[in-house]
Amino acid sequence: MTAKRHHWIVRLTHWINFVALTIMVGSGLRIFNAYPRFARRGETFCCYPWEGTPIPPKLTFGGWLGGARHWHFAMMWVLVVNGLVYLGFIYLHGEWRDLVPRRGYLRDAWEMIRFYLFVRRDHPVQGKHNALQRGTYFVFPWVGLLAVLTGIAIWKPVQLAPLADLFGGYVWARYWHFVSMMLLVLLSFVHIFMVFAVDPYSIRSMITGGYNPDNSPEARNARPFWHILPNRSRKSEAES
Amino acid sequence: MTIDRRRFITITGSAVSAAILASCNSRGPKAAEKLLKYAERKNESLERSLFRHTAMDETISGSRLAGNALPSYFVSRTVPVWSEETMGPWSLEIGGMVDRPLKLSLQNLIDLPRVHHRVNHYCVEGWTAVEQWTGVSMRELARLVGAHREARYVDFESFDDGYHESWDIESAMHPQTVIAYGLDGHMLGPAHGAPARLYSPVKLGYKNTKYLTRIMFLPQKNGGYWSDRGYEWYGGV
Repeated sequence: MTAKRHHWIVRLTHWINFVALTIMVGSGLRIFNAYPRFARRGETFCCYPWEGTPIPPKLTFGGWLGGARHWHFAMMWVLVVNGLVYLGFIYLHGEWRDLVPRRGYLRDAWEMIRFYLFVRRDHPVQGKHNALQRGTYFVFPWVGLLAVLTGIAIWKPVQLAPLADLFGGYVWARYWHFVSMMLLVLLSFVHIFMVFAVDPYSIRSMITGGYNPDNSPEARNARPFWHILPNRSRKSEAES
Repeated sequence: MTIDRRRFITITGSAVSAAILASCNSRGPKAAEKLLKYAERKNESLERSLFRHTAMDETISGSRLAGNALPSYFVSRTVPVWSEETMGPWSLEIGGMVDRPLKLSLQNLIDLPRVHHRVNHYCVEGWTAVEQWTGVSMRELARLVGAHREARYVDFESFDDGYHESWDIESAMHPQTVIAYGLDGHMLGPAHGAPARLYSPVKLGYKNTKYLTRIMFLPQKNGGYWSDRGYEWYGGV
């Protein structure tokens, strides 16, 4: 039995976000390469171990500094408007309830970790998402907000000086902009890894919206790369 | 030939990945250029509407003057130096849409009301540097020559191989915009734009013309060295 899992607005904004974020990260890294360190001229910076090491050009986008800036300052509007549409929708439509941590969140998350580490045998009971997913999808927009605010701060550090001051001035705002980008990339890679390793069936649900609950990781008792196939034994039990 | 879902996903997936890989470290699709130009225009009008003369640049307490760590750049092959023997005495010409066009010698500039600004330098590359500039406020100069209300733009020209940058009048009249002849307590050296240069923290470094020769009040934009080479014309911070 197939059920609709994601509303079309969620699916559309998910893929727009994928494209916009990829371009923002690529062009941002190209801009970073024009001065791949954080220290103010004539000073040192405490908290970045790779001061002066450029990002491999293959991972950047935009071709040259000016080009990357044009992409960055155009795509930022797509990213922000798309993000607002998504957040506005899940707020009005109630999907936010699937993402906000519930009471006992830490215990649920701990149980998921125990399950993935083979300490616990059965997949914990979950709703739409397991506790670790909830945490990830809940944190993602907040880190995104930090990336946007620090981005505005280093775009207009004089005209919007109070915003830059909020993050400790231009140099620190630029640092937090970089850190929030790294966090978004990290969360995205974990997310993509888990989709392929645990629940490839969710790819379909993010394209057409359809999802068969019999294939859910909970039903398959699925760990990364384990039990990736549908739970056939259960089906045959039902048939007999 | 029918394509089943699995095959469809494989094909689309590979096509999308190939497209993404192909665009890496490139300038992106040509077709996007019009959209990027459009976004740049929209951003410029937004930035200009955000612009306030009351928004001041302040340096973080405890920040050090960059001093010799301040990079020097010019577009000529060698450091542009004004040679009195071959070029005659240096002067700064102020003209265009003004009541009283002026020619100022360096001494004339020094004799005008003096301002000191300890401010940040924001480079398009992402770095900043703290410097202290000494000079004459652009507002003062505009008053002196009687700039017309219809002059909405100002072009700053130099003797550095045709380098110039035109500005919107609001940014040129910001209280922290100066024609500087002193840097960190010394007279400006040839590495940083001697005899005099434009300096303001409200614009990215490349908008601040060094080696000044002429300031023209204009009714419209007149591009600029880096803006003509694809960087944003506005370049405001």
